[in-house]
Amino acid sequence: MLDGFEILTTSGVVLWSKSYAPVSSSIINGFIKDIFIEEKVLPGASVADDTSAAHNPTYKKDQYTLKWATVKDLGLLFVAVYQSLLHLTWIDKLLDNIRIIFVDLYKDQLKKPHTSIIECDFDGYFDQQVRELEGAAEKNPQRAPQIAFDDLTPPSSSDNGDGILPPPLPGLAAATQTGQLRKPGSNGDWTDVSPIPTPDTSRPSTPASHILAGKAGPKSRRAKKALNAPANASSGDEKKGRPKKDIGKKMRRWDADGMADDDDGTVLDYSAQSLDENGIANVESGASVEAIDSQSFGTRTGKGQFVLKDLEGEVHSILEGANEKKSQSTSSKGGVVGSSLGAISGLFRNVIGGKVLTKEDLAKPMRGMEEHLLNKNVAREAAVRLCEGVERELIGVKTGSFESVETTIRTAMESSLRKILTPTTSLDILRSITSVTSPSQLNPLSPKPRPYVISIVGVNGVGKSTNLSKLAFFLLQNNFNLLIAACDTFRSGAVEQLRVHARNLKELSEREGLGKVELYEKGYGKDAANIAKDAVTYATQGKFDVVLIDTAGRRHNDTRLMSNLEKFGNFAQPDKILMVGEALVGSDSVAQARSFNASFGPKRGLDGFIISKCDTVGDMVGSLVSMVHATGIPVVFLGVGQHYGDLRTLNVG
Amino acid sequence: MAWTDSQSWLSSLMSPTPIAIAVAALLVLSIPLFLHLVIYRSASSSTLPSFLLVGPSGSGKTSLLTLFERGGHAETRTSQAPLTVEVSLPVTTTTASSQYRSANDPSNQIHKKFLLADTPGHGKLRHHAFDSVIKPQNLKGIIFMVDAADISTSSSGTGNEALWQAAEYLHDLLLLLQKRANTKSPRGPTELPVLVAANKLDLFTALPAPLVKAALESEITNVRSLRTKGLLDSGIGMNDLDIGDEKEWLGDGGEGKFDFTQMDEVNVSVTVAGGNVLGADGPDVKQWWDWIGSNI
Repeated sequence: MLDGFEILTTSGVVLWSKSYAPVSSSIINGFIKDIFIEEKVLPGASVADDTSAAHNPTYKKDQYTLKWATVKDLGLLFVAVYQSLLHLTWIDKLLDNIRIIFVDLYKDQLKKPHTSIIECDFDGYFDQQVRELEGAAEKNPQRAPQIAFDDLTPPSSSDNGDGILPPPLPGLAAATQTGQLRKPGSNGDWTDVSPIPTPDTSRPSTPASHILAGKAGPKSRRAKKALNAPANASSGDEKKGRPKKDIGKKMRRWDADGMADDDDGTVLDYSAQSLDENGIANVESGASVEAIDSQSFGTRTGKGQFVLKDLEGEVHSILEGANEKKSQSTSSKGGVVGSSLGAISGLFRNVIGGKVLTKEDLAKPMRGMEEHLLNKNVAREAAVRLCEGVERELIGVKTGSFESVETTIRTAMESSLRKILTPTTSLDILRSITSVTSPSQLNPLSPKPRPYVISIVGVNGVGKSTNLSKLAFFLLQNNFNLLIAACDTFRSGAVEQLRVHARNLKELSEREGLGKVELYEKGYGKDAANIAKDAVTYATQGKFDVVLIDTAGRRHNDTRLMSNLEKFGNFAQPDKILMVGEALVGSDSVAQARSFNASFGPKRGLDGFIISKCDTVGDMVGSLVSMVHATGIPVVFLGVGQHYGDLRTLNVG
Repeated sequence: MAWTDSQSWLSSLMSPTPIAIAVAALLVLSIPLFLHLVIYRSASSSTLPSFLLVGPSGSGKTSLLTLFERGGHAETRTSQAPLTVEVSLPVTTTTASSQYRSANDPSNQIHKKFLLADTPGHGKLRHHAFDSVIKPQNLKGIIFMVDAADISTSSSGTGNEALWQAAEYLHDLLLLLQKRANTKSPRGPTELPVLVAANKLDLFTALPAPLVKAALESEITNVRSLRTKGLLDSGIGMNDLDIGDEKEWLGDGGEGKFDFTQMDEVNVSVTVAGGNVLGADGPDVKQWWDWIGSNI
C-alpha cells in the first residue's frame, strides 16, 4: 500500500499531501537533494516530452521506494512513497494521472505570480484514482506478475475504463438512489460547509461541481473506510505477483501486519475462492458490506457514493481531454498547411521568444553545444550526458521574451555546469586540519589530537610529487609541521625526487621561519601500504600535524596495481585522498576518475581532485568538467604553474 | 465616388455630426484614463519593497515564508528554486514611516504589502541568493535564517559543522554586501540592513539570540582568518590581473575579532533576533515582523 503521496513545488512548498503511514520528511528531502540538486542518480538517457513517471528512475532510501513525476514549466513535483517490500504496479499510472488532473484543475492558480497558496481539495480526486487503479490492478491478477517483471508497464487505459465502471450491485444502487433522493437538501448543507472559494473557472462545468468542493474535508472518514477494501486488494495483488504459495501462509502474513481483522480475512478468503470474479467482486463486496454497515448514517454514504460517481466522470473527461490533446498534437503534424503555418510562427517565436521548446527545436543547437564542449576538451561521454541533462531540463519550457533558443540553451548549460562544479561541502582544507590536529578542548568527547593524513594518487606522470610539494609549501606557510612519506617504492628516482623537494622546502621554511618538514623514506621495493602506516605512526609520535603520502603512479586499467590501493587505504587511513588529474588528458579523464574512485573499496572514495597543468591548456579545461561530472567529486586545487606557489582553488562563479 | 461627394464615408466622417463629436470626445477623455490605469498598475507591482530570505538548508526559510503569507503552518521540503511571494504586514506592526501617525489614524489599518523572496539554501544553489543581492529590485533588507538548535549541538571531533556552514554563508553574504557598498554606484540604496533570525527557539537545545550572535561572530572570525591564509582563487573568467589583486576582507582590515558592528561602516546594520516558526511555546515571529516593519 502507498505510504504517502505529495505534490510539491520546486521552491519547496507542499501543495497537497496525503499520508497513510507516517513518513519522515527527511526521506523526501534526501530524495530532492540526491536526485535534483546533487544529481547523484542520473536519469536514463530517454528524454520524453512529458516526463512520465515510468521513465524516471526510482529512488530507494531506507525501506522506502520513491517514484516521481514532474511538470517543468509549472515547477511541480509529484512524489509517491511506498515500502520497498511492496511491488505496486500501478504507481506510474497513478502519478501520471494525478499529474494530468492536478495541472488541469489548478493551472490558473499555479501560474499566478507572487503567491505560494494553492487552494485545492484534491483528496476526492486522489482517492478516486487510487481506488480505480487498484481495482484495475486487482481485476487482472494474471497480468500482474507479467507487468511486474516487465518493469512497470502501466495497465492500458482501456482496461481501466472497464474496471472503474462496474455494473452496480443491488446494495450500491440502493445507496445511490437514496443519495439522489436526498440530494437537494444535502446539497445546500455541503456548500455551506465549505468556506473555501472553489476554482470553478478551471474545471469543466459539471452540474455538481460545487458539491465536489464541499465533499473533500468531511468525507475523509468514509474515504479511509472505503480504502480499507482496496488495501486488501493490493496486498493480494502483491502476493499474486510472486510464484505460487499456499493461501494459509498469505493469511498469516496479513495478521502480522497488524492491519487485518476478521472482516478483512473473510474478504480475502472470498476473493481467493472465486478467482473468476476476481477484482470487481472483491472491491465491491467491500463497498457493499460497508454500505450495510453504515446504515445508521445512510445519507452520508449515499451522498458520498453519488459524488464519487460524478467525480469519476470528471476525472475521466480530464484524462480523455489530455489524451485527445496529445493525439491531436501528433496528428496535426501531418497537414501541409498546418506545418507551414507552424514553421512560420515558430520562426517568429524564435526571434521574439515565448516559444515552447520541443525536442526538434533543441536538436540542432544542442549538437552545436556538444561540439563546443568537445572542442573545449570535455570527454565525449560527459558532453553527451551534459547535453542530455540540459535538454531534459529545457523540453517543455517557454523561452523568455526576445530570447532565442541558443541563448536559452547557453544559460541553461551555464547554470548546470555551475551546479556541477560547485562543491556541496566546504573544501577548506586548513579548517579540517585544525579540527583534527587540535580539537576543541571544551568538549570532553572530542578525540585525541592526531596527524591529518593526505594521500595523493594518480596516473603516471600527471604531477603527483610536484603537486604534493606545492601542497606542502602551502601548508608550511600556515605553520604546520609536515611529514612527507615517500611511498612510491616502484619507480627509480621517485624517492630522490621527493628528497630534493623536501630539502628545498626545508630551506625555504627555515629562511622564512615557517613550519618544519621532514621526509619519511624506506627505500625501494617495499610494500607501500606498510610504509604509509609506519609513517603515520611515526608522525603521531613525532607531533607532526600533517602527513602527505606520495604514491606510485598507476594506470587506471592495470588491475594488479589498482588493487593495492584498497589495502593502502585501509592501512594508512587517510583523511583526504586527492587524485591528481591532468588538464591535458581529454576523454580518458572520465575512466581515470571513475576507476580511481572505485579502487578504494566500497566504503571509501576520492575526496577531491587536483587538476594539474592548467596553465598549459588555456581555456580548454574540459577534463575538469568531465572528471567532476563523472564522479561528483569536487575540485580542490588547480595547479597553474611550475613554482611552489602556483596552487589555486577553483572559483566557479 | 469622389471624396467631394457628400455621401462618401470620408466626408461624412469629417462632417461635424453629433456622433462624430461624441466619439471623438469619448476617445479624448478615455485614452488618458486608460493609459493612466495601465501605467499605474504595472508600476505599482514592481515598486513593492522586497526582502530576501537566505540561510543554510533546513533553517526554516520556506516555512517562514509560508507562515508570513498564510498566517499558518504549511509543510515544506528542500527548495530547489527561488520563490517570491507577496506578503502583507499585520496591522499590529507599525512601520517606520508611520511611527509619527496617531494611533487612531485610519491608514494604520491598511495592510502594508511587500515581497518576500525565498532562496534555496543548498550549497550548490546559493548563487540564486547572491544574484538577487547583486541585482536588487527595491531590496529593503535581508533576513538570514539560522537554526539555533542546530548550531548549538557540538558534534565531537570535526567541530561544529552546522555552525561552520552558517558562518561561512553569512561571511560570504556580508563580504558581498561590503563589496557592493564599496563600488559606489550612483543609484541603488546604500543602506541594507541584515536580520540574523535565530529560528527554532522553541526547541530545548536552541541557543538564545545573544549566544547565537556570539557564536556566529566568533566563527566568522575563524572563517575570515582561514580565508586570509587560504590560496588564491582561479577561474576561467579571471585573467592574471585579477589574480594579482588583493582579496577583500570582511570588516576593518580582516584582523582581530569580528563583530557585526564592523559592518556599520558599509551601511549594513546587522540585527540578531530570535523566534520560532513552528511550535507553540517560544518567542514567536513577532520580533521579525517588527524588524520588517521598521525597515519597510
